[in-house]
Amino acid sequence: MSMSEQQALKQQVTLLELVDRVLNKGVVLSGDITLSVADVDLVYVGLRVLLSSVATLEEPREQISATGAAS
Amino acid sequence: MITPASTASLSRTGLGWYLYGVAAADEARAPLGARLPAGAAQQVELVAEGPLVGVASRVSLQEFDESALPERLRDGTWLEEKIRAHEQVLERVLEDASVVPCRFCTVYRSEVELRRFLSERREVLQAALDRVRGKVEVGVKAFIDRDRFAAAQAKQNDEIRQLETQVSTAEGGRAYLEGRRLEQRIAAELEGFRGEAADGLHTRLLAAAEDGLALPLQAPELSGREEEMVFNGAYLVTTDRVAFEEALASLGRDLRDDGVDLELTGPWPAYNFVPEELGAE
Repeated sequence: MSMSEQQALKQQVTLLELVDRVLNKGVVLSGDITLSVADVDLVYVGLRVLLSSVATLEEPREQISATGAAS
Repeated sequence: MITPASTASLSRTGLGWYLYGVAAADEARAPLGARLPAGAAQQVELVAEGPLVGVASRVSLQEFDESALPERLRDGTWLEEKIRAHEQVLERVLEDASVVPCRFCTVYRSEVELRRFLSERREVLQAALDRVRGKVEVGVKAFIDRDRFAAAQAKQNDEIRQLETQVSTAEGGRAYLEGRRLEQRIAAELEGFRGEAADGLHTRLLAAAEDGLALPLQAPELSGREEEMVFNGAYLVTTDRVAFEEALASLGRDLRDDGVDLELTGPWPAYNFVPEELGAE
């Protein structure tokens, strides 16, 4: 991986950490407009475009054992 | 200290309020805008209501409207910008004040609605703030390097060392079969080790934190690392974090020889330690 690819990867990873928090955690308030569960699913569709570039940057190593896959 | 927000309802002009989080009025400092990175340049205001302030920005209701939102949410570029802005605003607030972070895209149609919310939910918000006062969230992830784990096993485990010797001396089809046996043996050891390491990590980190929880593991294609994630946790720690970081460093030393690397993220606003729902209306 080149330096710029590594940088991009690092940023995407931080984004993922953020997404895990701001979409799934944090207080759900009675705002006039709030994200529904269906909306959050859409967010993941939108993010897959961004995050899929992570997977293409670096192909994950083949899992050696059947028990190796993290969910 | 606090910028008084205009009391006029802005719904007429097509502007609503995006609420990032809630802080105590006597802690949060304005203006925040000057200390925000260019990407999150929109004006952030502290909307004071009694002892609380809503950390909020005026946003276009057209942009965040329910009918328009599904389309926006599919737009990765828009999402990334908004998600990063949400976090950056809260991080600036966190420099001065404890904050109850809101979930992404919490929008009020008018300032009246925002103020009504802050005043009606004062008690639960205050309780949520009290819980996180003087504390921040940190994330801890553990990854295991299979090769280093296997090497450590060969040192500690006679049976695996013997298998390794057999693999290196065997030839042809026999070498393949012995190799498979060795792999399966290491996988079995790894299976047991993974759970033990995760439990041990969580127990020891929890003892050094105010609170903590184990989160679902991230898929390898998303974690950004080749190594398998074996633990993903979030902890509520005192702002200085000294005791926690000492515990983490000590765990890191203990686990390194087994091929485990620890990764610390944060400090984050306490996303994982605020109530998901604020109770019934």
